[in-house]
Amino acid sequence: MKFCVCIKQVPDVQASVQTGRMVLNAYDASAVEEALVVNEGTDDVVDLVLIGPSSATETIRKALAMGASNATHIVVESLGGLDSHAIAHILADHFASHEYDAILTGKQSQDSDSGLAGSMLAELLGIPFATNAVGLKAEGEDLVVTRQGDSGQEIVALKTPCLVTCSNDMNNPRIPSLKGIMGAKRKQIPNKEAASVSALTDVSKSFSPPGREAGVKWEGEAEELVSQLVSKLQNEAGVL
Amino acid sequence: MNSILVYLSVHDARIKRSSLEALSRAREVGKASGMAVEAAILHSAAAEMASVAHAHGASKVFCMANPIFDSHLNAPLIAGLSKVIKMSSPRAVVMASTEGVKDVLGALAIRTDAAVLPDVASFYVTSDEVTCERPVMAAKLLASTTSTHPLVFISVRSGSYEVSEGETVGTVEEVAFDFDEATLGATLREIVQTTGDTVDLSEANVVVAAGRGVRDESGKALVDELASITGAAIGASRAVVETGLFPATAQIGQTGKVVSPELYFAVGISGAIQHVAGMNNSRVIVAINKDADAPIFDVATYGLVGDCFKILPVLNAELRKIIS
Ligand SMILES: Cc1cc2nc3c(=O)[nH]c(=O)nc-3n(C[C@H](O)[C@H](O)[C@H](O)COP(=O)(O)OP(=O)(O)OC[C@H]3O[C@@H](n4cnc5c(N)ncnc54)[C@H](O)[C@@H]3O)c2cc1C
Ligand SMILES: Nc1ncnc2c1ncn2[C@@H]1O[C@H](COP(=O)(O)O)[C@@H](O)[C@H]1O
Repeated sequence: MKFCVCIKQVPDVQASVQTGRMVLNAYDASAVEEALVVNEGTDDVVDLVLIGPSSATETIRKALAMGASNATHIVVESLGGLDSHAIAHILADHFASHEYDAILTGKQSQDSDSGLAGSMLAELLGIPFATNAVGLKAEGEDLVVTRQGDSGQEIVALKTPCLVTCSNDMNNPRIPSLKGIMGAKRKQIPNKEAASVSALTDVSKSFSPPGREAGVKWEGEAEELVSQLVSKLQNEAGVL
Repeated sequence: MNSILVYLSVHDARIKRSSLEALSRAREVGKASGMAVEAAILHSAAAEMASVAHAHGASKVFCMANPIFDSHLNAPLIAGLSKVIKMSSPRAVVMASTEGVKDVLGALAIRTDAAVLPDVASFYVTSDEVTCERPVMAAKLLASTTSTHPLVFISVRSGSYEVSEGETVGTVEEVAFDFDEATLGATLREIVQTTGDTVDLSEANVVVAAGRGVRDESGKALVDELASITGAAIGASRAVVETGLFPATAQIGQTGKVVSPELYFAVGISGAIQHVAGMNNSRVIVAINKDADAPIFDVATYGLVGDCFKILPVLNAELRKIIS
């Protein structure tokens, strides 16, 4: 299948302090991995597209090093004012002139947790889609998606062209090999301007929520620990 | 234009509690800003559930009864909801942030020209603007987000509001729905239900969550026992779901579900931010971990430092005495 994966560069949320380190969105890394696995042993391409600042090239190279074919970099110096709606419109403009059997996105951005750009893009392109995929399989003209629903997994066959948003529970993305890294360094990454779009939502401020206070912590024998806990649950928390 | 429409998700022929939480909040907001509250139920037995919607504050309930809505496919739900939204012509559409809703939200917004505020922890609606606070950066930050777009969708994290009843007497509007299955582009092959889910995780008052520390079947048996004694739903960390010991539907956190029970047991869970993002609104958190420095203790109300294989048998025996 001819795939294109939409990838985003996000701040590293794992770090306990804001380091400014930027990484490939974990959900998008899983999408790249899955496309590579589905296409293993074929000559079909796995292309990439990223909207972001010039400095996001390093993230594109990381995904190329995993084994992706070619990438387009839509340069936008700040993602700040762009919500999922705006991103979906820029991507839709890109796909107006590029044909794929399947477009993959992450199920959400790790930083904003919006989870919208993929399904918005599918609707703009008028193609069937499935969200929160944990498995993918090519079957003739169809892409068979296993998606995680509220109370179980649903297996849906999508007619191509289609779009799938991927969970990181799908796989463990490969670590690029040295050969992959060298190859990615040599690849040309064409830049492109973003279509002009507008956001429909606006973040006015971000702040630390009132944190939870750490409570009490006991060490000792199991019997002691349990009797202290049970007494607190009954007398202080009132939950028993 | 001056109303709030609430889409009510149905599970097992019952309106989900998280949807009633969203409806209860919409009723309060509607009262404060002078907006009518309407509801939409899209399910083969929609009409039977309308009275529940009335009791929680919906003056009018749009019922769209078609068995295709029970199929878990997104295309019919998007088409059906678009039709109801056109009829109701609301200022805002409120829904619970379930996987089913996340599956349709983006496409529905494009089709009906709506802005979206997804997965919010709180919201307010006036005729000028819709405002909300939503967790971002794996719930390390809250972002105040606003939209002045004429139509705004809001999906609400479960547990953000309490369910409360209003005094509404309402009407029912049955809406016809025809869907040409030939235009679907997708077919449902199979639904693999997770078996043994006695209590719905996102609605549970008590959650017992297991992490990688719960190593094996014998650990799982201890966790199952604690859950059955306390009437809890069973949750899990991503690491332990990966081992296959617990189903993916049990996963709590940034990728998994958001829960906010009265009592949360974290057994053998380290407390990575992506896990904490899904449970830090629990009222009382009990952590059992053999590593005294595990970050889970930073959010735990009560922390037990020790081996869960030693602690759980004692805890289970003690709780069994008290609860039975
Ligand atoms: C984008 C992204 C999304 C993610 N989403 C989620 C998510 O939704 N949910 C989620 O849970 N994780 C998620 N993760 C993964 C997360 O970062 C952690 O890897 C995961 O939560 C770790 O699970 P754990 O605590 O069970 O395992 P570990 O980190 O391995 O911790 C095991 C703990 O058990 C303790 N232990 C071991 N043996 C015992 C014993 N006998 N008795 C008591 N304690 C014991 C250890 O001290 C340790 O603290 C996500 C990660 C990413 C990058
Ligand atoms: N700046 C971007 N460039 C390319 N793809 C993006 C960008 N932002 C979001 N996406 C894609 O859309 C998915 C979901 O985005 P969101 O709606 O932001 O949660 C991500 O996982 C990416 O696949």
